[in-house]
Amino acid sequence: MKTLATAVAAALAAMALGLPSGATAQERTVKIAGFGAKSGVVRSFGVNSEAAMLAAAEDINKAGGIKLGDGAKGKVVVEFLDDRCTAEEGISVIRRIASADWLVAVGPTCSNVAEPLFGILQKKVGDAGDSGLQMPVFTDVAIKGGLAKISEWAFRNVPSEATMYSSLFNHVRTEFPQVKTIYGGVEEDFAHSRASWYAVMKDRANANGLQVLGESKWLLNDTNFATQVREMKKANPDAIAIAAHPFTTCGVLKEMQRQGVKPKLLIGLTSSSSLETLEGCAKQAEGMIIPTSFAPVNAQATAAAKSTAKFKGNADLHSMAAWENMFILKGVMESENVLAKPDSVQADRRKIRDGLAKLKTTDGLLGTTRRTADREAEKPYVFVRAKNGEWTVYHNPL
Amino acid sequence: MFDLLQSILDGVMFGATYALIGIGFTLVFGVMHKINMAYAAASVGGAYGGLLVLVAFKGAPAWAVFLGACLAGGILGYVVYLACFHFIPLGSPLATLMSTVGMLLLIDEVIVHSTDGMPQNYPAMFDDVMLQVGELSIRGDLLLIFGASVACMAALLALLYRTRLGLATRAVSQQPVAAQLCGIRVAQVNIATFVITGVLGGLAGALIGASVGALSPLLTVPLTVKGLIVTVIGGLGSIPGAIIAGLLVGGFENLFQQFRGVTERDLYVMLLLFVFLVFRPGGIFASGAGRD
Repeated sequence: MKTLATAVAAALAAMALGLPSGATAQERTVKIAGFGAKSGVVRSFGVNSEAAMLAAAEDINKAGGIKLGDGAKGKVVVEFLDDRCTAEEGISVIRRIASADWLVAVGPTCSNVAEPLFGILQKKVGDAGDSGLQMPVFTDVAIKGGLAKISEWAFRNVPSEATMYSSLFNHVRTEFPQVKTIYGGVEEDFAHSRASWYAVMKDRANANGLQVLGESKWLLNDTNFATQVREMKKANPDAIAIAAHPFTTCGVLKEMQRQGVKPKLLIGLTSSSSLETLEGCAKQAEGMIIPTSFAPVNAQATAAAKSTAKFKGNADLHSMAAWENMFILKGVMESENVLAKPDSVQADRRKIRDGLAKLKTTDGLLGTTRRTADREAEKPYVFVRAKNGEWTVYHNPL
Repeated sequence: MFDLLQSILDGVMFGATYALIGIGFTLVFGVMHKINMAYAAASVGGAYGGLLVLVAFKGAPAWAVFLGACLAGGILGYVVYLACFHFIPLGSPLATLMSTVGMLLLIDEVIVHSTDGMPQNYPAMFDDVMLQVGELSIRGDLLLIFGASVACMAALLALLYRTRLGLATRAVSQQPVAAQLCGIRVAQVNIATFVITGVLGGLAGALIGASVGALSPLLTVPLTVKGLIVTVIGGLGSIPGAIIAGLLVGGFENLFQQFRGVTERDLYVMLLLFVFLVFRPGGIFASGAGRD
């Protein structure tokens, strides 16, 4: 009895003093910060990424957590910060993350945030003359091509639009021989949309023998697309490619319906292969084909989507990249013997950076992703088509 | 030439949506001599509120959604009045301006958080109707908006000049102290103005949602800007001015877009506003009446 009383007293004293018990002394926390847009019109991206990261963290922790360099177990803790899709806020957020004990950051959502944000990271690792932040950033969403080369601390697990649209237009050439001409519609004031049309889609369409008849332009906030659709109608193309985000994509599709513009083929922007487009205009988007790096085509991908749904997020090419990032980081932390101790934060960040830089391939939900020398990813992809209000896998080119 | 004409016609017809928003801005200004910056956001909020009808009654007709939007708009109008005007010292013009800007951002974020920013499909009326006038085509739903703008104008003018509430409103607008001495309850007149403009805003938001085919929080700031431009060009406090200016701005927008491209379009609209501010600061229908 006396022994029991002593043990209880000791336990209470330990609790009062905030001392870890014997079992938890060996268990540390591995802090991973997520950041992206959780307010403003692109909030859904942040919400989905956060849900995917939390779901992946739960799965990792359930399976025993992360094995640290000294044999201890690390429990993954995720916190997601809002950058409002603005460069100023994004930079402020990454500075906050770097000044605390987060080991790595996953984000951001928007390319217009990623570009300046990567600019404040140290450009070359180990450059004593460069006072840029030494914080590994592993991007899940911001998709504009070639951004990781800005800093050696920047890594991305986003699909290569150039590769995907190359493949798509090659498919169009072989499978849609009746399609000879194409017309573009582009959201002129959004970095991703512009880059996707001018630098990717237009070029790839040309390269695959399609005659580009022109392009109509509109702005992200526009509500009236009558003139632009009339231009499309006048050009009478076989195919129309819309490089715009869901709100204006839906506005244009509805105007096309009004004006009776019915191309033989409708191609969309990668980011539009989401629930947003179907919420806004499922009927008008029927038949639209989009290349994407995620679809629930196997058990693992389906399970990831289900886990994410538990945290009130939708699985799409962006959020599932966040999911993949968590498991890639787990592998890197284990192989690089990260310690996750309060006094090893900067050393751990460097280990994670070096580990990510070493990767040649990673396991993704659709298969193996190849890592490039400039810290980008070449992810497997499929083509999806809007059918009966859902995105269904239309073709697997790999 | 045909393209240009068609483009201007499209713009003029779409300008009817700006006119509807402009009417709300101008009515509040006419009565209280205050700018309600949250008006367009509350209108879009009202339109979102209308979608609750579809949640409650799946497959409800578009007119029921529009009715729901009017109701939600009226409630929001009252809330905006309470939050941004009733408890704020009206003597300071900056106070109500800032409180309504705050309300604009608040409504915007509430919409974003409740929908995760996803565009919502909006039911439309006559959206598949396309009238042909020679080679020119006119959208049926935009004609409906145009008709609604004119009907709203007629109803508001009837309300202002044929009812006791209208008399009280005009009295408060022109001489609030004298109106109060005559037994008119100024606060109640102000509340009525906000509820009426709220109902109108809900309808405007719903018609705009229907004309675009989708609602998005992306609409609030551009509609606020367009509403203000229309109000200034039309003449602060002038309801017919708001309608004419709305159509004018819509037409000019498309004209500029045709000649200078979409990226320069808004630049020229702002230039138009500048021209009015310099050469006709009172707008097309400058109002002579004023509050003491």
